[in-house]
Amino acid sequence: MRTLLRLTVANARSFVRDRAGMFWTLLFPVVFVLLFGLIFSGAQNPRYQIGWVDLDGSAASAGLRQAFARVTVLDLTTETTEAAGRDAMRSGKLSAVLVVPEGYGAALAAASAAASTTAAPAGPAVSLTLYTDPSQQQTSVTIQQIIGQVVGVANQALTRTPTLLGVQSKPLNTENISSTAYIVPSILAMALMQLGLFGAIPLVEQREKLILKRLGATPLARWTLVGSNVLVRLVIGLVQAVVILGIGLLLFNVQILGSLVLMTLLVLLGASTFIALGYVVASFVRTEEAASQTTSILQFPLMFLSGIFFPFDIMPNFMRAVGAAMPLTYLGDAMRQVMVNGSAFAPLPVDIAVLAGWLVACLAISARFFRWQ
Amino acid sequence: MAEARVAVGEPVISVGDLHKSYGSVKAVDGITFEVGAGEIFGLLGPNGAGKTTTIEILEGLRQPDSGEARVLGFDVAHNPAAIKERIGVQLQTTALYPRLTVRELIDLFRSFYRRSLPTDQIVDALDLRERVNARTMELSGGQQQRLSVALALVNDPELLFLDEPTTGLDPQARRSLWEVVGGLRRRGKSILLTTHYMEEAEELCDRVAIMDHGHILEMGTVTELVRRRFQERTIHFDAIPALGDGRLGSLPGVRRVAAEDGVTVLYTADVPASIGALLEAATSVGQEPRNLHILQASLEDVFLALTGRALRD
Repeated sequence: MRTLLRLTVANARSFVRDRAGMFWTLLFPVVFVLLFGLIFSGAQNPRYQIGWVDLDGSAASAGLRQAFARVTVLDLTTETTEAAGRDAMRSGKLSAVLVVPEGYGAALAAASAAASTTAAPAGPAVSLTLYTDPSQQQTSVTIQQIIGQVVGVANQALTRTPTLLGVQSKPLNTENISSTAYIVPSILAMALMQLGLFGAIPLVEQREKLILKRLGATPLARWTLVGSNVLVRLVIGLVQAVVILGIGLLLFNVQILGSLVLMTLLVLLGASTFIALGYVVASFVRTEEAASQTTSILQFPLMFLSGIFFPFDIMPNFMRAVGAAMPLTYLGDAMRQVMVNGSAFAPLPVDIAVLAGWLVACLAISARFFRWQ
Repeated sequence: MAEARVAVGEPVISVGDLHKSYGSVKAVDGITFEVGAGEIFGLLGPNGAGKTTTIEILEGLRQPDSGEARVLGFDVAHNPAAIKERIGVQLQTTALYPRLTVRELIDLFRSFYRRSLPTDQIVDALDLRERVNARTMELSGGQQQRLSVALALVNDPELLFLDEPTTGLDPQARRSLWEVVGGLRRRGKSILLTTHYMEEAEELCDRVAIMDHGHILEMGTVTELVRRRFQERTIHFDAIPALGDGRLGSLPGVRRVAAEDGVTVLYTADVPASIGALLEAATSVGQEPRNLHILQASLEDVFLALTGRALRD
């Protein structure tokens, strides 16, 4: 036990004194949380820049502008001509340009006078022109919908039709799950994955540089050596969890809704599983360079197919199948469930069982194939 | 703690008909040797000769295929733990934990053993006092090597294994490490070392074994090995044209005459007789031999003769 403690302290010291290692394991996930947090919290209330071109200049067109100005997500900028509006759009200042045609007021007045005497005409009396950018598909569609709604309301007001049917939208989640709340457990899961997987690199390095052999020539037991490596990484994993969750809580108000004990156990289980995966990698590569390449390559499918950043819904079926086999999928899913009551990919006991299964499989493979020299 | 099983006068290492293969490669192919208590024994040979495999078996890092190997009275196949507790091992590793300080690393290694020397004593013995708080990655090559010997000494071992202890060191650092080994010899430690440097073997080793392709080709003291192969010594001097090869070849003791770049070389079995006759002959033609010196064949020559190649290929 004394040896285990000494070796663990030595490993911890080595880690703390390694600036680059500290950056990748502690600071990098923090940067990730900040980055994603800021991006997604900005996306909560998007605002669209709309050019307003009034070729009519009547009281009616001014009234229409007021109606649009009441829509909070639209920022209206007055442009004198259609051409000026299109130029501003091309230079990226505006997302869309709305043109009120000359004779708008007169046409509306004529139409409403006619409406009181004859039956309603088939087509609109007058049309606004809306320029949008097809390359900004999502923005364009959103703007078209908003403007369509405003025009619809304006039509009702002009024709004095009563509102019969309305829609009230409500978020389905029991708690308010923001994008940041989704991303914080994902980043924690990713950090634990990297912590364990990249552990293969120093292992292979120690073998390549005969350090494992040198230690093997002392009475130091192998289980002590492995135990101390695992212990240090588990502690680092817990520190990572505290830092990442702390930032999520303090800066983005992402709270842990479920049990803290369960969350801690998940951090330990997840870290153990990926540490074991690191040992598997170290069992099959010989050089430090190969270890570093293998782990870098492995982390990408783990990261992008596991639903921690991109939801499964947008993936083609074969990718979903790959993702459904990966341990990170279940770690991210379990953490999301415990932390923010996010919708589940699998029930929590299944998540835990799959992670434990991976852990056992990796341990068995490492025990069989890991070489000390 | 296991009882010491080496009686006074018994060998600290005894190897009998040891075999170890990797697939079809016979790394060690039936070697037998003993190392006595207090002896410094050198294993010489080119890369791939089987030195490292032999040492690793003796250190308890590998199991032999067949044959017997006993270290400090323990069978390596059955009692590696007891052996590891009582030997010191130095490998050609660079920095073990580059970010730990010298003191931290020595303390760490002390914790591996039941019995260990005080850290300060080890630091002073290896002249590392000034760098005791430096991280090991900041040490010079010579200091790194002294540290790796220091780590081999933490448990005050009876037997040390030094694997090419001075490879890559400058001549001054090599000399300083030789002094350390000399000090260990005076304290009665037994040492098994491997080296690429013949002068190192000649300087340090009581006996050497020359290995190649898993066999021991020859074994004995350096002087014995040289005498066994090379009974002749050579007399070198700047060529004297007035003395013909025929006349030089008929001088007493001289067996052969050779010329290399303006230097005449006489191979002789009787140096005093040949030298006296050479001086007389030179005087008779009114000259005196310049740059006159006598050389003995070295371990390098023995090695070349045995294996047909230089040691440091």
